[in-house]
Amino acid sequence: MIPRHAQITIALLLVGACILGFYVLSEKKKAEEQQRRVADNRPVAPPVAGTPQRVALVIAYDDEGVLRRRTATVVLPEDPALRAREVLRALLNEYVKKPSPHPLAEGSDIKDVYLFQGNLAIIDTTAAFADAHRSGIYVESLTIVSMIDTLAANVPGITRVKILVEGKERETLAGHADLMGFYDVAAVHELVKEMQ
Amino acid sequence: MRISRALSNPRLAGLLLALAVLWLGADISRSAEEKHVSVYAPQTSYRLAVVERDHREYVALVGLLEPLGTASASSSGADWTVRWNGVEGRFTEGKSQGKIRGTKVDLSAPLVVENGRPMVPVRSLATLLSRFLDARVDVHESARRVFVANAGARFTAELKKGDPPVLVLNFSMPVSPAISTEGGRLKMVFARDPVVSANENFSFDDKTISSLAYDESSGTAELTVSGGAPLLASFSNAGRTITVSVAPTQAACPPAPPTSPSGEPAAPASPGTAVAPSGQGTATPGAELPRGRYLVVVDASHGGGERGAALGKDLSEKDVTLAFARRIRGELQNRGITAVMLRDADTALPLQQRAEMANAAHAALFLTVHAGTMGSGVRVYSSMLAPSSEAKVAFLPWETAQARYVNVSHTVADGITLELGRRRVPAESLEAPVRPLNNIAAAAVAIEVNAPAGDTRAFHSPNYQLTVASAVADAVLAARPRLEEPR
Repeated sequence: MIPRHAQITIALLLVGACILGFYVLSEKKKAEEQQRRVADNRPVAPPVAGTPQRVALVIAYDDEGVLRRRTATVVLPEDPALRAREVLRALLNEYVKKPSPHPLAEGSDIKDVYLFQGNLAIIDTTAAFADAHRSGIYVESLTIVSMIDTLAANVPGITRVKILVEGKERETLAGHADLMGFYDVAAVHELVKEMQ
Repeated sequence: MRISRALSNPRLAGLLLALAVLWLGADISRSAEEKHVSVYAPQTSYRLAVVERDHREYVALVGLLEPLGTASASSSGADWTVRWNGVEGRFTEGKSQGKIRGTKVDLSAPLVVENGRPMVPVRSLATLLSRFLDARVDVHESARRVFVANAGARFTAELKKGDPPVLVLNFSMPVSPAISTEGGRLKMVFARDPVVSANENFSFDDKTISSLAYDESSGTAELTVSGGAPLLASFSNAGRTITVSVAPTQAACPPAPPTSPSGEPAAPASPGTAVAPSGQGTATPGAELPRGRYLVVVDASHGGGERGAALGKDLSEKDVTLAFARRIRGELQNRGITAVMLRDADTALPLQQRAEMANAAHAALFLTVHAGTMGSGVRVYSSMLAPSSEAKVAFLPWETAQARYVNVSHTVADGITLELGRRRVPAESLEAPVRPLNNIAAAAVAIEVNAPAGDTRAFHSPNYQLTVASAVADAVLAARPRLEEPR
């Protein structure tokens, strides 16, 4: 036999569980709605210290379907991996700002670049970069080759590049461009020449 | 006092608490999925969103009638008049009775109005529709499926014994289910097709394909084929026939030549086998194509829920690629070339499975069709892999299987570009990182069709489709000697 006060406690717990459930449900709906509306455009890395330097960017222009080389001044740190990341972030900034020659969604960013043995670069991108990318062979190829050729132009010695999304492998960028394999920098450079 | 007595039992109280938590969890997950009613009529099929009011399910009355004719609703205070093709229905907000064609109808629950739209209970759909349409209406209430004028699509299932066996499903009308596979189970979900069955289970006296189960819920019908091996489905007979067979695996590949030229037993695997990663299946060799066999696999990219690029307001890449792929297949067949399509309906097919199927078919050429809106004309892509001149090996790495074939792929791409130019279609051939070209153990190209002068209506133009398809077919015919060379 449970004492009366325990019965009341259990009854209150049941009522509390119901109220809590409905509260969780309403908060879940709110959060889902919020997620749909707002793209996460928080910076993914702190600003870096370094000296302003001229870098070469290979920029895609959708209107003409071409790639063009341009120079920009970017603050670059000493560490090669951080330099690589800042160069790529400068490129994506060109695409994210409005108007853009090759629009990418807000929140498209580089989380990290990892360099291995001086010749392999692994680029880790944000989810927004891939999730909100426009779909199409040419438009996806422009993004990828402009990133790889920009990286190769500013970080000598890179011969192979792999692109990750939020630290994980992904089959394609937006349904077309292959992200499973390693890109050969020389082959990408030849393609850039054809796309200029 | 009964509640008090129940709570005084510790086991019962604990059970009640657990049930409350379970109920809440179920309620949360239920709320996350949208509910739909599917309506199937001879002229159309459509889905309606279901909203819950006072623990009852409702749908918009005008939305229910509109796809079947001209429907409108007008109100005067709480009274509503709904007209469909000249038939009048009168209802009152908060009342569970109304009149259609001057005769009383019971809605089973009060009419509610939301955002200026009269909503009727799902339970009343059979009565309402049969009165408005003056036709037979069958409602599968638990599955929320409504069939107007015997609109159901029946099917027969026949297991054809063989090695391996195949299950042939013949439908009374074309169907386009979304297909997914997991291990030895292949699931087909029919969201827009009025598939019905009197039997829920079909058992086959076979270990490879052992059973077929029918189920329907939340506005869809599902067929699940169970077997002892990975399965895949293919369409034929204009979407009326689905054939379920064993997915190609290394064990299911045609065996390598039994003896070497010296008479010694040959290696168990044919040269040039591309191996899929992490045990997800193997692709079969593309090398040593038998003389005289010249198979082109035409792949209409995307499909099902994977829509591809948005080419216009209501135009998806998946629909354009299917139309062009069908044209290309037809033009190839007109030239005496055997061509098969990986999908001939609006079905989803993973990229890896496409590559596996093409490799298993020993294709001489894999041709994947895409569409875009950047520029005009046609771009023809081949792999960016560097050509490999390595000696024949038993297995090829999955991610670079194309390397041995990339030179012939470039040749085909250039040939297609040339033929398109002859027909005054702007075209260029490029290398690009198109998935799954790198996984194909045969010549492989991707064609991206763009709308001339940015006019997306051209995607529907039979002339444009035919011009592109005939150029592709002529180029493939011209490349035949090169593609038939032993590799």
